[in-house]
Amino acid sequence: MEQKAVKRREKDLKFWERIYIPEILKGLSLTFKNMVRPKFTFEYPEEKFVPSSAYRGRPVLVEEENGEERCVACGLCSRVCPALAIEVQAGETEREKERFPEKFEINMLRCIFCGFCEEVCPEEAIVMSKDYELAFSSREEGIYGKDKLLVPANQLQDRIDFLRQYK
Amino acid sequence: METGIFVLISAIKILLIAVLILMTVAYLTFFERKISAWAQNRLGPNRVGWKGLLQPFADVFKLLLKEDIIPERANKTLHFIAPMIALFVAFSTFAVIPFGPEVHLFGYDIPLVVADVNMGILFVLALTSLGVYALTLAGWSSGSKYSLLGGIRSSAQMISYEISMGFSIGGVLLLSESLRPIAIVESQAGWMWNAVIQPIGFITFFVSAFAETNRLPFDLPEAEPELVGGFHTEYSSMKFAGFFLSEYANMIIASALIVTLYLGGWHIPYIETLGLPSWLVIVLQIGAFIFKLVLLLFLFIWVRWSIPRFRYDQLMNLGWKVMFPLSLINIVWVAILIMVFGL
Amino acid sequence: MPKFTIDNREIEFQQGQTIIEAAIDNGIEIPHFCWHPELSVSGNCRICLVEVEKMPKLVIACSTIAAEGMIVHTQSQNAIEARNVVMEFILINHPLDCPICDEAGECKLQDYTYQYSIGESRFTENKVIKQKHFELGPRVIFDGERCISCSRCIRFCEEIAKDPELTFVQRGDRVTITTYPGQQMDNPYSMNTIDICPVGALTNKDFRFKARVWDMSSTDSVCTGCAKGCNINIWVRNNEILRLTPRYNQDVNSYWMCDHGRLNTFKFVNGEDRINSPHIRKEGQLEKVDWDESFNEAVTRIKSYPKDEIAFLGSAYTTCENNYVLALFAGSVVGSNHIDFISHLDPDFGDDILRKNDITPNKKGAELVGITPSKSGLNFEGMRKAIKEKKIKALLIMEDDIVSSVKDIENVLGNLELLVVLASNFNKTTELADLVFPTATFAEKNGTFVNADGIIQRIKPAVATVEADRALDGFEMSRLDKFGSEFDRWMTGAKMDAKPGWKILKSLSGLLGKKMKFNMAEEIFEDMAANIDAFKGLNYDDVGNSGVKLKTENIENAVTS
Repeated sequence: MEQKAVKRREKDLKFWERIYIPEILKGLSLTFKNMVRPKFTFEYPEEKFVPSSAYRGRPVLVEEENGEERCVACGLCSRVCPALAIEVQAGETEREKERFPEKFEINMLRCIFCGFCEEVCPEEAIVMSKDYELAFSSREEGIYGKDKLLVPANQLQDRIDFLRQYK
Repeated sequence: METGIFVLISAIKILLIAVLILMTVAYLTFFERKISAWAQNRLGPNRVGWKGLLQPFADVFKLLLKEDIIPERANKTLHFIAPMIALFVAFSTFAVIPFGPEVHLFGYDIPLVVADVNMGILFVLALTSLGVYALTLAGWSSGSKYSLLGGIRSSAQMISYEISMGFSIGGVLLLSESLRPIAIVESQAGWMWNAVIQPIGFITFFVSAFAETNRLPFDLPEAEPELVGGFHTEYSSMKFAGFFLSEYANMIIASALIVTLYLGGWHIPYIETLGLPSWLVIVLQIGAFIFKLVLLLFLFIWVRWSIPRFRYDQLMNLGWKVMFPLSLINIVWVAILIMVFGL
Repeated sequence: MPKFTIDNREIEFQQGQTIIEAAIDNGIEIPHFCWHPELSVSGNCRICLVEVEKMPKLVIACSTIAAEGMIVHTQSQNAIEARNVVMEFILINHPLDCPICDEAGECKLQDYTYQYSIGESRFTENKVIKQKHFELGPRVIFDGERCISCSRCIRFCEEIAKDPELTFVQRGDRVTITTYPGQQMDNPYSMNTIDICPVGALTNKDFRFKARVWDMSSTDSVCTGCAKGCNINIWVRNNEILRLTPRYNQDVNSYWMCDHGRLNTFKFVNGEDRINSPHIRKEGQLEKVDWDESFNEAVTRIKSYPKDEIAFLGSAYTTCENNYVLALFAGSVVGSNHIDFISHLDPDFGDDILRKNDITPNKKGAELVGITPSKSGLNFEGMRKAIKEKKIKALLIMEDDIVSSVKDIENVLGNLELLVVLASNFNKTTELADLVFPTATFAEKNGTFVNADGIIQRIKPAVATVEADRALDGFEMSRLDKFGSEFDRWMTGAKMDAKPGWKILKSLSGLLGKKMKFNMAEEIFEDMAANIDAFKGLNYDDVGNSGVKLKTENIENAVTS
């Protein structure tokens, strides 16, 4: 009868490997090397990560210098939002663009930071900011109204320039 | 020596050692976390106090303030007693470990050991064997399958490795011809360290010490991926802290034993040739003991964050098929040394 | 029938039909802006250009009469290029207003730009500036820049509303639409121009900027403004009706409805004065109570009168189902013969187009299901007299505000010992009531209306009450309805604690010891179909979305019998 060779390991170990002690020492030296390597941890509350302009933080509304929003409440962001986070209620104004958002709410509990709203916006009125510090203690606080969403345009210049590069 | 003075001095020594050990244990946990963080390219705890140095106290407060949960199906008495056994065993073993030579203070000869008994090593072995009860009882009394498995594993593991441990010590005893720890240390004066003379015995004892303290790579009794928390799965609050403390205290004992038995205790080779004043020699010698101890503790932690856990069959294989024969060979080797070189 | 070929398909047509009519009858879409099936042909937008073999140039499908043997191509190279060019031309001066334009989402120009335009313009000059916010009339706002001058609105006013008010002024790129001097576009059908406007040039003043069309659900229903029963869509967002639009039904209203129906027949559904739970008069004041208490109170008090002293008033405002159950309740449960309803006629309301003098949607239905006094019973005038003489001591009124519409009735009702009113909103009649039950409105229930022409039509629920669930009860759902949760603010629209009238009567009759077996409006209709000649053989599926004309002889039989 043909005897089948029983293969016990992927690779047969050499003598020094079977002794095990040199391998242990190898492992120990690796961890020791790592112990003395410089660390690159951000010590968060003191040291803050400043994202690049490609970063998608919480979506915000661009506020013009005269304190008015660019948004015309077309509702495209609301329509494209895959998480249904955005609710817009339009109203009528005397301004040149006769439509404005009477109510603009983003439910940050629903938002998934995909950036579709920014991509679809015809007015460059909603952009993803660099703000990643989002904490709240109730569902109600998680709904950001216009008061929290409006950010002056000059603070968002970085992102707006980045977007224009690709439009 | 008068009995009263003896009691007083012993009491002071006990107090000193108890406080020292508790502090050491506390900071050992801190360095465990720090070293693990460094090995993993992290910073480790650095929030409480300067550089995180008050972290151990925060941990203790956390444990103290936690709810003590006793499982419904637990055997309440044994559940309560088990961590106490663990602590008792860990702390009483320190009684026989010498951490320096005899000193002359206020006209008395004071040995730097709590109890200078002439069967100290036996005492140590006896007490560490008792330690098995703590883990087994904890595992059994919790009324949980994970705890039970952990408890059973620990008893099997500790009994297996105690054999090679005991035989390793046999080599040491042959040379020192005494069970008194101080005598054993004295017998290693100069470069006559047992680690040098009987390296095989040193390695087997060293490995067994890891197994006896349930440290990685032999932490099967509490193997997290398989057994949640092993024998202490169902423990919380200060009872959990009891096990936690005893584990680290056991590490210190194991390290101290290794220093005593194999690394020449407090001896610094050739120190007598320098002609230093005797008090300085004693201070340096105590320092040497502590230095050796700390080095070993670092090694314990370092190994934990480098080497993966054994499988249970591998653990048993190693214990019975490798460590046990090796420790026997070691005895033969020491015997030959004595016969041939007359050490 | 003569035949011609279009896109390699041979189709039949009637003599005199244009190419576009014949094509649409055969399911072939030819793009069109200015052409409308109900309006005269104007032929000014040129988007319907098609290629006809052996004709020297492309022709417009809307004004070319189809002829035997014609070979038409709508997808040939020439036709496609022509459409591209026409789109480019129309878009030259059309502002990129879509984000602020209410028409977006239901805009013909938007759709055709996607379908037929190449998406590029060679026009680099500035677009023409025109008046952007101009009130053509009290209900319609005109945006000159968006207008593509198709003239549909002008032709509508002339041909359908029979009240020419609009006209083009200026020429070339300055052409715009305005009213004749000293006139306003205020004809009672003016808002249909908003629907037929292919772009967003005409917008609804009432609905302006209220919601995006894609955020609303749209439910097929019937207008309750008069006995014509125009077919409508109810547009709902966040459980609130935002607008009504006409729905095509050639037998009833074609594409149109009147402004009154569009604006004044839905606001009460979300009105401030909706009744949100049953009420009982305690110490002179109506007080909120729960359903059980109100039912028990009603039953104990009804029981305390002999059946001859109880009278019932149905309503031409509510559905056949409600009236039918009321008739059963009065006849079989209570055993009273005094049952009638009041007709509401407004001689100034009707016209020759759609509006009828009868301003109730279901007078015929109420008659058909038996809201008429039987031989020994009293009609409304009789009841009035009997109440005065205190021969009738209890009255149940279903969904009719008789105090507001019947002269001097207020004092007469004061003689009653018990007045039970089923109503959706607080009104002058509920002020006198001892017991008020909140009822579901036309937008909250299933049911049928029979219009002045004897056509039975269905209404469907579009707004959810407390007892209803949009998903489980088969409502039309918008995307927001489908994916919203109770934690989303846009799902928190008020739900009224009201029930359809028949459900209330069913509960009462159960407590009076005679259980009715109906669980849904459809079962009532089945019962009606089994018992009433006029409805014989009908069911909800037959009535469908466009209604069924009841057989006239049945109607006559039913009414006379």
